[in-house]
Amino acid sequence: MKRVALGGAVGAAFILCWVGAGVAPSSLLDPANLRAVGAFVRGLFPPDLSPGFLGVAAAATVRTLAISIAGTALSVILGLCLGVLATASLWRRGPLVDGREGGPLALLSLAARGIARFLRAVPDLVWALLFVVAFGLGPLPGTLALAVSYAGVLGRVYADLFEAVPEAPVVALHAAGASPLQVFVAAIWPQAAGSVAAYTLYSFECCVRSAAVLGFVGAGGIGAEITLSMRLFEYGQVTTLLGAFVVLVLCVDGVSRALRGRFRRNAVHGSGLLQAPLELRPMRRGFRFLWVIVAVVAFAEAGFGSLLAPDVLPHVARFAAQLFPPDLSPPFLASILTPLWQTVAISVVGTVLGVVLGAILAVPATASVMFDPEARLRRLRALAYGVARATLAVLRSIPELVWVLLCILAVGLGPFAGVLALGLHTAGVLGKLYAETLEEVSTGAPEELRAIGAPALQRLVWAAWPQARETLASYTLLRWENNLRVSTVVGLAGGGGLGLALYNAVQLGFYDRAATLVAVVFVLVSVTDALADRLRRKPAVQRAPESGLALVAEAG
Amino acid sequence: MSFELQRVGLVYPSRTGRVQALHDVSLHIRRGERIAILGASGAGKSTLLRILNATLRPSAGTVHIDGRDSSGLRGGDLRRLRRGIGTVFQNPSLVPPLTALQNALCGRIASWSLARSVRALVAPSDDEVGAALSALATVGLADRAAARVDELSGGQQQRVALARVLVQDPQVVLADEPFASLDPGLTAQLADLLLRICEGRTLVALLHDVALALERFPRIVGLRGGKVLFDLPASEVTSVRLDELYGGAG
Repeated sequence: MKRVALGGAVGAAFILCWVGAGVAPSSLLDPANLRAVGAFVRGLFPPDLSPGFLGVAAAATVRTLAISIAGTALSVILGLCLGVLATASLWRRGPLVDGREGGPLALLSLAARGIARFLRAVPDLVWALLFVVAFGLGPLPGTLALAVSYAGVLGRVYADLFEAVPEAPVVALHAAGASPLQVFVAAIWPQAAGSVAAYTLYSFECCVRSAAVLGFVGAGGIGAEITLSMRLFEYGQVTTLLGAFVVLVLCVDGVSRALRGRFRRNAVHGSGLLQAPLELRPMRRGFRFLWVIVAVVAFAEAGFGSLLAPDVLPHVARFAAQLFPPDLSPPFLASILTPLWQTVAISVVGTVLGVVLGAILAVPATASVMFDPEARLRRLRALAYGVARATLAVLRSIPELVWVLLCILAVGLGPFAGVLALGLHTAGVLGKLYAETLEEVSTGAPEELRAIGAPALQRLVWAAWPQARETLASYTLLRWENNLRVSTVVGLAGGGGLGLALYNAVQLGFYDRAATLVAVVFVLVSVTDALADRLRRKPAVQRAPESGLALVAEAG
Repeated sequence: MSFELQRVGLVYPSRTGRVQALHDVSLHIRRGERIAILGASGAGKSTLLRILNATLRPSAGTVHIDGRDSSGLRGGDLRRLRRGIGTVFQNPSLVPPLTALQNALCGRIASWSLARSVRALVAPSDDEVGAALSALATVGLADRAAARVDELSGGQQQRVALARVLVQDPQVVLADEPFASLDPGLTAQLADLLLRICEGRTLVALLHDVALALERFPRIVGLRGGKVLFDLPASEVTSVRLDELYGGAG
C-alpha cells in the first residue's frame, strides 16, 4: 500500500515536471523544424579548413587549455586551503581536538565547509557571467570562474580524503606533541597525496570541458568562437571548432590517464579510488622546469595581464557593491517561481531521458557482454559494441550548452530544448559509467553462472546487476545533482529556466536581482544535495568519498 | 617526570548509557620507575595510558605531571608537555608511504616549527639524518633506513616505532601492549630493546604477558573493572592475586 502511494506520488511529480518542462515531442516532427535541422546538418559539412580559420581555431583551443590550466592551478591552491580548514578530524572532532570542540577554530572550519559548498553550488557559468561584468570580456573571468567553482569542488573532496586516512599514525604524532598542522604535514598528507593527485586530475578534465563553454557568456576560448560562428550561420566553422574541442578533450583525457597510471577509474563501489591510490613519484628536474614554463604561459594567456590595468579593481568593487542588497521585493520573488519550477523540471525530465537512453546504450557498450567467445553472431556483436561506444563518446564529448544550441534549432527556444540537451549529454556520460561499472563487476560470480550455462545477458541480470546497482544508483543520483546545476544555466543559451532570468537580469544591469537569483540557485542546489544525501543509504563497505564519485560522474 | 594521579575517574558517553572506564584510580609514579600494568581487556588500561600522555582528560580527580595540573593545560603548553612523553602503540602506528628514516624523524616533530617540519620531511639536514640513522642503528635497522615502512615486517615496524621514540628523546615512555601483535620469539628480543632504550627514563608498559611483566618490571599494577586491584612489587604478586585479576566473571 505504502509502495503504491509512493509510486503514485513519484508518478504525479514526474507528470508535473513533464508539463513544467514543456515537453512536446511533436515539435520534433514539425516540418519547419526538421527543415532547420536538415539545413544545419548540411551546413556542418564540409568543415571550414581554410588556413585562416584553422589558425583561429588553434588559437581558441590553446586559450581554452590555458584557461583550464590556470583555473585548475588556482582552484588547487584555494581548494587545499579550504580542504585543510574543512577537515573535521583536524579541527572539529576526534582525538586531535583536545576538548576544543566548538572553539573558534571549529567555527572557522565549519565556515570553510560552508564556503566550499557555496562555491560549488553556484554553477561555473553563473560565476563566469558575474565575473564578465566585473572584469570585462576576455579569458580572465573564465579562469576565475573555474578557479572559484572548482575550489569548492576540490575543497570538499580534499577534506573528505583527509578525513578518511587511517587514524593510528595521526594519533601517534598527536601523542608525541605535534600540532594539528604538523600532524597534517607528517601523517595525513603523505597518506592522502596519491588520491589528492588523482582527483585533481579528474577536476582538471572537468575544467577543460567547462572552459570550452564559458565562452558562451563572453569568457573567451572555443565557446566564444562557437557562439560567434553560430550567429553568423557559419556552420562549417562550428564543425571545425567542435572537432578541435573533441581533440583537446581526448588529448587531455589521455595525458590525465597516463599520469594516473594504474589508478582504477570505476572500481566496484568506487572502492579502488581509495584503496589502490596512485603513488606520487618524485618529479624529474627537467619536468619541474617544464611545469613552470607551462604555468607562466597559461597564466599569461588566461588574461592575468589585464588585472594590471589601473581601473580594474575599482570597477570590480563597484560591481560587488551593486549586488547588495539583493532584490527581495514580493513581485520579483513571485516572478521567479515559474523559472524555478522550470529548472527543476528540466533537470528531472532531462536526467530521466539520459538514464533511459544511457541504459539502452550501456548494454551493447559492455565489453564483457558483447565479446562472449561462445556466442553466435560475434561479428554483429562487435559491430554493435563499436557503434554503441562511438555514440556514447559523441553524446558525451559535446557539452550540454552546445547541445542546447543544436536543440533550439530542432524544437525552438524554451525548456524543451534544455531537456533534450541535458538528456543527450547525460545519456553519453551515464551510458559510459554504467558500461564501465558493469564491466568491473562482470568477473567472478558471472563466471560461475557461465559454468551452469547462462548466456551473457542472463549473467548480466543475475550476477552483475545486483553487484553494480548501488554504484549505478549512486552515479545516477550524482548526475542528477549535477544536472540540476546545469539546468540553471541552460537558459543562458536559450533553454529556459532560472538561467534565462539571470542572464536578463545581468544584461539589463539589475545586479540586485542577479544576487537574489544566485542565492536562489544556491538554496535550490543545497536542498537537493541534502535530499540526495537522505536518499542514499549508508554504504556497507569502505568506498571512495561521495564527493569523489561526484567528480568522476562530472568528468564522465 | 613524575605522575601523581588522585582519585581519577573517567566516564565515556556511549549509546547504551555511560561507561565508567576508570574509577577512583590513585597512582604515584616516580621519576625513573619501571611499571607494568596488567589487566584483562576492558579493564581500563588504555584509558589510563591516554590519561598519562594527556590525550584524554579525566572526568573526576586530578592528574599532576611533574607537579603541574595537566587538566588546566591548553594548546602549546599541552604540546610541550607531550613532547616529553613518548608513546609506543600496540600496532606500529607509522605513516605508510614514508620511509623508516622519515618516520623516525617524526619523533622530533613537536620541537619544530611548521616550516621546519615540512623541510625536515622533504629535505632533512645532515644533523637530522644523523640522529634518525643512529636511532635506527640502535634498533638494528640501519640498513633499511630508506625502505618504506609498509614494506617492512611487523617486527621491523615496531622497531621503527621504537626508533621514533628514541629520536623524540622523552623523559617518559608509555607502551601500550607493544608486543601484542608479534610472535613470541620476537617479543623477548623487542622487550630487551625497549628496556635498553628506556634506561634512565620512566617506563610504563601495559602488558598482557604476565611472565614477561614479572620477570622484567619491579613494580606491577593490576587493574580490574576500572579500579586498581593491587599495586605491588613484582616479588609479591602471587598466583592468587593474578587469579583475582583475570579470573571469574568481570
